[in-house]
Amino acid sequence: MRRIAYYKGCLAGLSARELDVSTRALAPKLGLELVELESVTCCGAGDIQMADPDYALHLNARILAEAEHAGSGTILTVCNVCTLNLRQAAWQLGNDEQLRSRVNENLERSGARPYSGGVEVTHLLWLIARGEGLERLKEIAVRKLDGLRVAPFYGCQLLRPSKLMGFEDPDRPTSLETVIEACGGEPVDYPAKTRCCGFPILLAREQTSLAELARPLEQALEAGAEAMVTSCPLCHLSLDAWQKSLERTLGRKLGLPIFHLSQLLALAAGLEPARLEFSRHAVSLGPVLARLESPLEGGR
Amino acid sequence: MQVRLHVQRSDPVTGETRLQLFELELPREATLLDCLEQIKDEVDGTLAFRRSCREGICGSCAVRIDGRTALACRTPVAELVAEGHAPTIAPIGNLPVVRDLVVEMEPMWQKMRAVEPFLRPGPDCGLDGRETPIPSARLDAVRKESLCINCGACVSECDAMTVSPEFLGPHALVKAWRLVGDPRDDAVAPRLKGLSGEHGIWECTRCYLCNERCPKGVDPRDAIAKLGAEAIAARIDRDRGARHAKWFVTSARTTGWLRESELVVRTLGLAFSFAKIPLALRLFRRGKAPLPLPRHRARDLAPARELRHIVAGQDRRGALGIVQGERALERIDFICSPEQPVGEDEP
Repeated sequence: MRRIAYYKGCLAGLSARELDVSTRALAPKLGLELVELESVTCCGAGDIQMADPDYALHLNARILAEAEHAGSGTILTVCNVCTLNLRQAAWQLGNDEQLRSRVNENLERSGARPYSGGVEVTHLLWLIARGEGLERLKEIAVRKLDGLRVAPFYGCQLLRPSKLMGFEDPDRPTSLETVIEACGGEPVDYPAKTRCCGFPILLAREQTSLAELARPLEQALEAGAEAMVTSCPLCHLSLDAWQKSLERTLGRKLGLPIFHLSQLLALAAGLEPARLEFSRHAVSLGPVLARLESPLEGGR
Repeated sequence: MQVRLHVQRSDPVTGETRLQLFELELPREATLLDCLEQIKDEVDGTLAFRRSCREGICGSCAVRIDGRTALACRTPVAELVAEGHAPTIAPIGNLPVVRDLVVEMEPMWQKMRAVEPFLRPGPDCGLDGRETPIPSARLDAVRKESLCINCGACVSECDAMTVSPEFLGPHALVKAWRLVGDPRDDAVAPRLKGLSGEHGIWECTRCYLCNERCPKGVDPRDAIAKLGAEAIAARIDRDRGARHAKWFVTSARTTGWLRESELVVRTLGLAFSFAKIPLALRLFRRGKAPLPLPRHRARDLAPARELRHIVAGQDRRGALGIVQGERALERIDFICSPEQPVGEDEP
């Protein structure tokens, strides 16, 4: 078992609880012992980075410091936005001693632990899309997805800015496709898979946001997708929870079920669908689950 | 080196658009611009494209190469044609095509004009003909933005502009920050008010395509974040986007995590939130809409509250909180001597 600090972020503890539940269910299969960071907060979500950027940096420093204290050189996230914010802060604090010592002074004054630098921030997708992680995934993916046509949706902030993310080519990524194939699914290609779902301004500029959301959903359906998978709970909220609102705007039915990455992996690893809380999704996964071999319940 | 290129040709008279294949012979060190010039000089003189300086200064020759926008003059062609690949060269996006690779830049300039791209000097700005000394630390805040060459690469792929053409967009907002962040400018508040409109700062969807494509490292998205940070610091924060951002701060210092169930009301206001009741009920039935109480609290919350207090009393408010991290981020591009930390090379 590899011990790894697990930062679940806000949404996996709130509206996307199924993401946390399925990640925890999956972790032992992947040989991971998740050490949940508890004395931590929101990463800022890109919002505190605007409303009070200095505060956002300190909050992220605290998360990094907690991971260090937990004895883990790596933080695992399950959210694109957390990944970007933590990686940005980790880079800034790791490469600017003046900045780090100022932030550390403040952390200590506030009663938090200081951060000495050097924690690596990774995402579940990165952990399993290459090398040992991929080998492990191939071993555990016992329930093949039976050629299910799955559209990969990357979401912006796991790809860009690539100088901070750097896992793969931000324009021609392959990690989700690799994972879908390893699970026995068939990846569906479509142009908007690397574009924006519009989530950050969903409340502030609904029309613009939904117009962005329409592109991946419509294109994926056009390309014959039966389901979509995303590595980001914020994209998931747009793609799933707001799909009905989008249907009303577009005046057409979409009905594309959206997997969290961890759910897709856990399903392929043979975990019972009931444990993965598919019933919490706005767009039913029923037809997809019914199509897969074993008798399944819980998909509604 | 043999080079095969598909070039998108558009005829303004017939309205026809097609891809034309060109096969060329060039030296290994050739750029994409060299290819286009060879086509024009030796193969087909009717090919239209813009270029001037040939060295990444004038910003004329941005094109899309297999979908990604870049300067033709800064793109070595050898990488593009590796393994016999024949790349597709098309005009930049989000602007109307005039002919072949030439686009109409006027919509971009209109937005530039809308942000009043000139200094409105205040009393401290040596109008008596003397220079205006400015501490170099103050100029750091706009140093990156002053590198913009107006090439339109950021506009080309801005996801928000594609679906909402009225969005001011990354290019104009970079120029806006160049002035808002300039200590000599005396119109910061009216500028920020103007930029907080329906198609301003808060319409950016944070897709980071502008940062990804900018050939000069301007990082337009970061400039937009700086504008947002200054607007909020100046209490020009009535916009839904600003209220949304501020709610995260309130959430972090009161419960540690996002107070998600209250976010809609805090962003939209009570009246507009009523329209979201059907959606909320739908999600509530699925267990997707968390109740506001009991609150989802982080353990050991005191430091989160205290930190907010501490940083509020320090001198990194607003955009300076972003600027302070830029020196380290610049090192990603050229990490030449990692043993020398950034903090040590003081100006």
